Amino acid sequence: MITRLFFIFFLPACLIGAAVIHTPQAPKPSQYHLSKVTAKGEVIHAWGGPWSCVCDSRSGLLWEVKSDSEDIHDGRWTYSRLLQNQGVANNGDCYFEAERCDTEDLIRHTNQEQLCGSKHWRLPTASELHTLVTTEVKPGSPSIETGYFPKTQRGDYWTSDGNLPLKGVYSYLKFGGAAVNFINGQTITIPYRNAAFTRLVTNRSSTCHIAPQ
Amino acid sequence: MSDRSKSPVWILLHAALVIAVTCSLFSGLRIATLSKPAIASIEELLPQGEVHSVHFLSAILLSLVALAYLCSRVLRRFRARQQYGHKPLNYHRVVTWGGISLLAISLASGWLLFAGISKLPLTRTLHFCAALGLTAYIFLHAGVYLVQFGQNALRYILKPATTRRAQLILSCSFLIIFLLGGWLLLSRFTYYQLPVSTIPADAIIDIDGHANEPQWADAEVLQISTDGGANFYQGRTDIRLKALQNGEEIYFHISWQDPTESLAHLPLIKTDQGWEIQQQGFEKFDESRYYEDKFALLLSSHCDFAGAGTAHLGRSPLPDKPANWHGKGYHYSQSGQLHDLWHWKAVRTNKMYLADDNFIGAPDIVRAGIRRYTAGYQQDGKESGAYVMNWKWYSPNNITPKRLPSDTKVLAPFQNLDQKGKLDWTISWFDYQPYSAESDQVAPGTLMPSVLYTSNRFEGDRADVRAKGVWRDGYWTLELVRKLNTASPLDIPIEDGTCLWVSAFDHAQVAHTRHTRAIQLNLSNAL
Ligand code: HEM
Ligand code: HEM
Ligand code: HEM
Repeated sequence: MITRLFFIFFLPACLIGAAVIHTPQAPKPSQYHLSKVTAKGEVIHAWGGPWSCVCDSRSGLLWEVKSDSEDIHDGRWTYSRLLQNQGVANNGDCYFEAERCDTEDLIRHTNQEQLCGSKHWRLPTASELHTLVTTEVKPGSPSIETGYFPKTQRGDYWTSDGNLPLKGVYSYLKFGGAAVNFINGQTITIPYRNAAFTRLVTNRSSTCHIAPQ
Repeated sequence: MSDRSKSPVWILLHAALVIAVTCSLFSGLRIATLSKPAIASIEELLPQGEVHSVHFLSAILLSLVALAYLCSRVLRRFRARQQYGHKPLNYHRVVTWGGISLLAISLASGWLLFAGISKLPLTRTLHFCAALGLTAYIFLHAGVYLVQFGQNALRYILKPATTRRAQLILSCSFLIIFLLGGWLLLSRFTYYQLPVSTIPADAIIDIDGHANEPQWADAEVLQISTDGGANFYQGRTDIRLKALQNGEEIYFHISWQDPTESLAHLPLIKTDQGWEIQQQGFEKFDESRYYEDKFALLLSSHCDFAGAGTAHLGRSPLPDKPANWHGKGYHYSQSGQLHDLWHWKAVRTNKMYLADDNFIGAPDIVRAGIRRYTAGYQQDGKESGAYVMNWKWYSPNNITPKRLPSDTKVLAPFQNLDQKGKLDWTISWFDYQPYSAESDQVAPGTLMPSVLYTSNRFEGDRADVRAKGVWRDGYWTLELVRKLNTASPLDIPIEDGTCLWVSAFDHAQVAHTRHTRAIQLNLSNAL
């Protein structure tokens, strides 16, 4: 009788009691190769913010993150490609220069403010920039992880690969630079004078290193 | 317990009843977690997923058993007069009569809820109380039998007196045939019908929320009751629908009761410590106070229960995907079939004369760095569209606004949340200036709108549905239009027989009202 009472009334009552007491855990982010870094260079929680850079522990590269705050990192600004006097100066659109903008303007300003604790910002190579391309994106989104890289435009982003022969309608301009297109992730060669987007990178930062495997 | 063994048919019906009541109870309590936090506190014991179909399948089984029981009572009463006298009243007979009454209440209120007639919140409460009563009944009836007689009781209800196999198999087959037949009837022939009137291609319908074109006056009205949402009148609102089509586009005119026009969407308030978001539940993606009014239409070529079978309840109905924050559930399509979702928002899309064009598809992959996983509920293109929220990063505590007005006087009209009258709770990106702590002269206690318009349109696929809503005297009136066939892979073409569901949101983020039976569009007299 006692065992029956236990199984039929006491056990269910205990189960209900336990379910009431038990509070489900809030969801937690899982380990990931990208991490968010603040403007001061501190790594923050995967769901925290705001952040100014992203560290990729697969490549050890620290990437600039774009904003919509009309500062120098605004994702809408475009730049013509100028690198070590190669290319076209001041042919992109931004609000932070008296003249129009080129990639060197962004590099200079970003190093001056020591974004995320680094003063070695530069243009990425095409293969470096390509490591950010993902194909499994939401419909209409740029081919990048927008959870880490918000305000990315569906357009071309400059790389440091230059002096490449131009083809087709632009062949009369002879040489151009490589850009990665964040609609389909392809690398293309476009004239230096084009106004394209730019995301800077550094491999010399104190916060971002290749994670030991 | 009487000494006589039970007949095979009794055993079969009792077993069917045990199964039906258990399934109804567990699936029903899961449905109750949507609006009853007390039931949500035992969520660990309840099933997850698409429980509505389970509830309705067991409802049919229960109804069949009840019918069989009624028939046998009538027969027995007829025979009993001649054979036995009355059974003596004892504890179990009293309990059994209590149980039978509760089952009758569950059945009656359940079918009323299903049909969507009666005062739904009251019927829902009755249905819920009967479910609680049945829980007690199971213990008082089955529990006490088991305590009294142990395994013998089980043997008694499982082992038939005679071994008349044929009778058992026959009645078993009957039950299964009736169950399947009932399911077919219920899932195919219980839709509301919305006749879509055909209008000439050159008739002009202004999408202005006023529906004063003569074509609307001629269109047939479908009125349905929806409930189970947050706010409104005890979570209930009645929705009136009309539809027109001209061979190219389909127009909807929808009105529903809403005692308040809620436009203060997550307003910001200045405190001594800085700016904060006014919120009650937003951290768990279930804001139910400081939110704009919304309305949603779900369109699908499938007409299954629970919003074309997309409503999967529970904290983690998908075991290999993240749990949701509010514990209520997810919308997703299990078959990979796409369902169209038009999501009109009184502040964020109304000003653009649009409804957000969303869809419900297969569960999305998990995207790192994003706190809210929404499974199959997704947007048709574009990361954000035409508005952004006026904070750099969400926090339940202090936030930093993106922009502030250059003259704080423009905030004066927003200081009373309860005030009636038209007020535009959006602010223009270009009229405000970038935030800086030094230039922030706003006095503590001041409220500020938080929806910043950056342009006046969505682009691409997300702008396929034009819509405008107007609130007047306790009613929202909404007009919508979309091409019957947009040719976008993220939209479904609207045809004769397409099913529709509607949900209203009264200053709530996810706690919307719902109705059980699908609405079928009737375009049979199409051009
Ligand atoms: C959800 C669970 C259950 C429900 C809704 C239920 C319902 C009922 C009902 C309505 C009757 C009356 C039938 C009649 O008048 O002929 C009945 C009889 C009976 N039930 Fe259940 N039952 C449940 C579970 C159980 C369990 C688990 C047991 C056994 C351990 C059990 C043992 C009995 C017995 C022995 C009788 C016959 C009483 C008699 O012959 O007078 N029931 N049950
Ligand atoms: C033993 C029998 C039954 C039990 C224990 C039961 C239990 C429940 C419970 C607890 C709820 C949630 C109520 C709430 O939201 O507070 C519910 C909802 C509902 N039940 Fe039942 N029920 C039973 C039988 C039936 C039957 C026979 C029908 C007939 C079709 C039915 C139709 C419904 C409907 C339509 C809803 C509302 C679904 C929704 O809110 O989306 N139930 N039931
Ligand atoms: C039985 C029917 C339904 C149930 C139980 C239900 C339940 C739910 C639940 C639990 C959520 C939260 C999901 C999340 O946070 O990811 C939700 C969200 C939502 N539901 Fe439903 N739903 C039903 C039918 C519908 C229908 C028919 C529509 C459209 C007409 C609809 C439109 C929506 C929308 C738009 C949201 C997302 C709100 C937002 O976060 O912006 N639901 N629903």
